[in-house]
Amino acid sequence: MTVVTGELTGPLPVISTAGLTKHYGTVHALTDLTVDVGDGVTGLVGANGAGKSTLIKILLGLLEPTAGHAHVLGHDIEEHSQEIRRLVGYMPEHDCLPPDVSASDFVVHMARMSGLGASAARERAADVLRHVGLDEERYRPMGGYSTGMKQRAKLAQALAHDPRLVFLDEPTNGLDPAARTDMLRLVQRIGNDFGIAVLVTSHLLGELEQVSDHVIVLDGGHLLRSSATGEFLERTGSLLVEVVGTETERDRLGEALARHGLTCRPRGTMVAVDPPPPGLAEGGAAHDLIRDVAAELGLGLMRLQPDRRHLEDVFLEGGTRA
Amino acid sequence: MPDQAATPGRPGVIHDLGYRHFEGVREGTATIARTLFVTGLRHAYGLGRSGKSKVMPFVLLAMSLLPAAIVVGVVVLTGLGSLPVSYADYTNQTQLLVSLFAASQAPVLFSRDLRHRSIVLYLARPLSSPVFALMRWLSLTVAMFVFTAVPTVLLFAGAMLAGLDKSDQTSAVLKALTLQVLLAAMLAGVSGLISSVSLRRGFAVVGSVMALIVLTGVVTVMQNIAYYDGDSESVSVGVGLLSPWSLHNGLGNAWDAGIDTPAPVDGAWVPAYAIVALLLVAGCLLGLVARFRKVASR
Repeated sequence: MTVVTGELTGPLPVISTAGLTKHYGTVHALTDLTVDVGDGVTGLVGANGAGKSTLIKILLGLLEPTAGHAHVLGHDIEEHSQEIRRLVGYMPEHDCLPPDVSASDFVVHMARMSGLGASAARERAADVLRHVGLDEERYRPMGGYSTGMKQRAKLAQALAHDPRLVFLDEPTNGLDPAARTDMLRLVQRIGNDFGIAVLVTSHLLGELEQVSDHVIVLDGGHLLRSSATGEFLERTGSLLVEVVGTETERDRLGEALARHGLTCRPRGTMVAVDPPPPGLAEGGAAHDLIRDVAAELGLGLMRLQPDRRHLEDVFLEGGTRA
Repeated sequence: MPDQAATPGRPGVIHDLGYRHFEGVREGTATIARTLFVTGLRHAYGLGRSGKSKVMPFVLLAMSLLPAAIVVGVVVLTGLGSLPVSYADYTNQTQLLVSLFAASQAPVLFSRDLRHRSIVLYLARPLSSPVFALMRWLSLTVAMFVFTAVPTVLLFAGAMLAGLDKSDQTSAVLKALTLQVLLAAMLAGVSGLISSVSLRRGFAVVGSVMALIVLTGVVTVMQNIAYYDGDSESVSVGVGLLSPWSLHNGLGNAWDAGIDTPAPVDGAWVPAYAIVALLLVAGCLLGLVARFRKVASR
């Protein structure tokens, strides 16, 4: 099974694997993974232990696969892993910052370890630290950083040498909601504005559907699904309707819509309308009907939008299929 | 979660100033390895690190220089016909300071990256784990060599000032420096390997002290017992194979570099000492490479 995600701009995908397998004794971390990754942001999603970190380590040449092949940026992982490590950045999941060094010094050093000269490394470090949002605190030892600042410093060192591809392993781990939003926006910018391909992992599906162009779903070392994020989200014909008022208004609307032949159920403050029957499916007839019903009841229509599926549904489907 | 896009650009958090790509030259592996070596060498003396971390190496260096300075003063002022201590024996006499330097500075180069797991960031970059381990060892070896060579060079400068025979002194100092290279390689290997396994700084220091200071003391005592009480030269010399310092001293004795050992090292013992010393260095290097490789794959 070969699945291609991403807008393949060149003849070669950014990452392509063929039958990639990694077994630790009886533990099967990855099984026969064949997948292609293109430019932009690609989400790699799966529960803990699904094989996400193992895949990244194999692609970096830090682990040897039990079987199968892979290419990163056109280089074979077994023959040219050094060349690959020159062109990619890696932000590990775990803590990896020495506490007695400042972020500024550390990122400069890491840029030099990727082959940048002394002055170029200083310039790049200042640039990326600004991009990740570490300001004055960059001159303080990293031991005193909050989790959010540590994650930024980790991200900065991954970008220090201007890689063509970055592996971000759980970049939102341990962040509060505001910091999480910042980090996700940054990930999106790296993929779209900086022009650096991103492979980002998370066990939180909701995060990845916000930022990634493509999603690969791993489950127990197996490929569950790989496709554009849009395809995950746009297969439902359901509608969400919200009116001004409380639950009473919501229920009045729902009951009225039901009388007109639509299947409705409450969801939070909104009414979820199942895909309309054939008679109402054509040319937005259902939309018109909802508008008219709301007007008849004298209710202020606040929201009428297509109901997006969530990536969770893919897991549920995958679970029932397996 | 779905409406996070509705909070655009919280001010002052992540600045949007445009991203610039790096178009400049990217150095090859050799240059990166050299940078790592130089950084490691500087860090061994606390340079480029906090002020506090400079104290230990420089206090030890000053302490090991002080006797040499006194010797030089005495020789120059009194016009002695020879140095009261040979170059190689001076290193031996200050061995406690040399071993302490190895024990205290090896964790800086071998434990920190492993304990804080920044090793992963190094190994996700072009240098492979064997090259990384080798460069770390080389940094410590050169740092150790500098530590022993500085007093030696000071002594030599004093000898020259006092007008001692130039060719005699030159050959003696070159012998001492050669022995110091081997000594530095052994001490860096042993203390580096210990530090890379025991990641807590305290344990690493204690482990190195055990291996370099306590073991050497035990070996010296056993050598003396075997020679004076056991009346066995070969046992006394054989026991000397067991510690880096007794290897250094034995080779210095065999090479006539001015170090006394309980029993003279001669005959087939000389190649045996040399081979064991080289095997010790090679073994430590292999151990270090295996250790870093294992950590890299985790």
